[in-house]
Amino acid sequence: MTAKWPAGRRRLFGALVHHVVRVAVAAVFVVPLLWVLAASLRVPGLAPPRAIEWMPNPATGSNYARIFVLVPMGTFMLNSLIVVGLAIPLTIVTASWAGFAVSQLPRRLRRRLVISAVLLLMVPSTALWLTRFLLVRQLMLIDTLWALILPALMGSSPFFVLLFYWTFQRIPEELFESARLDGAGALALWRRLAMPLALPTIAAVSVLTFSLYWNDFINPLLYLKSESHYTLPVGLQMLQQMDKTNWPLLMAAAVVMAAPVVLLFLSVQRLFWPEGRLAGFPVR
Amino acid sequence: MLSPYLLGTLALVALPAFLSFGLAFTLYDGLAAPVWRGLQNFSEVFADPLFGTAVRNSLTFILLAVPLRLLGALALALLLRQRHRGTGLYRAAVYLPTVIPDVAYALAWLWIFNPIYGPLNLLLGAVGLPAPAWLAQSNTALPAIVIMSAFQIGEGFVVLLAGLQDIPQDYHQSAALDGASRWQCFRFITLPLLAPWLLLLTLRDIILSAQSTFTPAYLMTGGGPYYATLVVPLLVYEEAFDRFRFGQGAVLMLLLFVCVGLLLLLVYLTVRRWGYGDDR
Repeated sequence: MTAKWPAGRRRLFGALVHHVVRVAVAAVFVVPLLWVLAASLRVPGLAPPRAIEWMPNPATGSNYARIFVLVPMGTFMLNSLIVVGLAIPLTIVTASWAGFAVSQLPRRLRRRLVISAVLLLMVPSTALWLTRFLLVRQLMLIDTLWALILPALMGSSPFFVLLFYWTFQRIPEELFESARLDGAGALALWRRLAMPLALPTIAAVSVLTFSLYWNDFINPLLYLKSESHYTLPVGLQMLQQMDKTNWPLLMAAAVVMAAPVVLLFLSVQRLFWPEGRLAGFPVR
Repeated sequence: MLSPYLLGTLALVALPAFLSFGLAFTLYDGLAAPVWRGLQNFSEVFADPLFGTAVRNSLTFILLAVPLRLLGALALALLLRQRHRGTGLYRAAVYLPTVIPDVAYALAWLWIFNPIYGPLNLLLGAVGLPAPAWLAQSNTALPAIVIMSAFQIGEGFVVLLAGLQDIPQDYHQSAALDGASRWQCFRFITLPLLAPWLLLLTLRDIILSAQSTFTPAYLMTGGGPYYATLVVPLLVYEEAFDRFRFGQGAVLMLLLFVCVGLLLLLVYLTVRRWGYGDDR
């Protein structure tokens, strides 16, 4: 049908189809999340919906208050915040140190470390958790929040080390040379020269670290025993076990847990798109 | 300055890996001292019918999820690569499910998949499609987990977007001048130039399925119904932390390690030829 149209109109038609497809695809990804949001606003105890609801009638926000009463959500949230608050600065320091050191190494060694980090990045934690558990137990860190923060000592993820490395190696070598001639040591170079030039990377790694620790379910599941130490993910599981069918409450808890990560992501998403070129994105 | 990272890696990755070798040959419940028992753990693991089930489920998951996720990420990257009005919004929408925490995501889909009043089945019912019981039915439980995993493809999407951005525009322009169709452009320019990324993402997806399948299986189905979603990481967890059979758990980890190691070798061979991320 389109073949009979003049070229101009055909192009217009193509652009229209393209646009509609883009909107539809985006909707497919967002709609399930909207369903969850709608479910969290239902009055608990009412008969379950018979048709899809975009906005429950009557709607209520009381589920959000109820979850804090039913389980110590406030404590869980505080624990999560403590973990995240300690993990982010630790990660920034160790990952940027490692990235900086790698960027200053001779070529061959640098290449080996970069490849080893890529491989390390792909080691699934499940392949390690049993013996890691025994180690944590040996360190007497079971049932403490420290057990959760431990990975921050290695920069949390080799990916963060790589991100810092990619950023630092784009800084012109002459800058470092002249600072070195002025007698600056490695730490001073890192603090005064490298880090101020890596602010977008620091922001990106902070956000990624936040979601890594905020979302972490497996480690608290393995290491935490007492309820007063629970972080949000295990707290959510606890809420689920209390009442498996109270969907409005469970969905409210899921929204509470997801909201900070979603907001953080939306506020920094520009950094992650290729045009934004998070200084030194892996592609060149 | 490299030392915290190297020491941390040594303590948290190398040492546990090394220990699991030793542990695999012992009887150990986490309390009494480990007792040497040679290869007996291995024969017990292989004799366990659940082992075969878990391996089969994990492989099924990989066969279904990895191509779906990869093609999805590629299609989305192609669709949303050019900047028009609203592109930023659409990209954010596509990435959004990826940032949702695993536990919240699992609970959300538990609701969506609810056989009677979950929104998915209400939608399917409204348009007259059959509405299966999803997680409550053994032949749809694993596909259901595949479906929810197909929405969390933001990372592959961004990587491929960046890969596409890196293909010089003039390649396509000169091909178009030579009369190449859009499909030919894609088949002979875009695809070959993206191939290393696609390979790397495939391997990464396969390997990380050993980790990413745990939370949904543990929280949503508990491995059921009738072991239909018992995946390898869940079996490891149950052996080690429910039954305290650390020896058997270590055997499973060791096997996982060997598989992962072989795949990583493949990654290494790709990356080495190609100089991943290293300067020029």
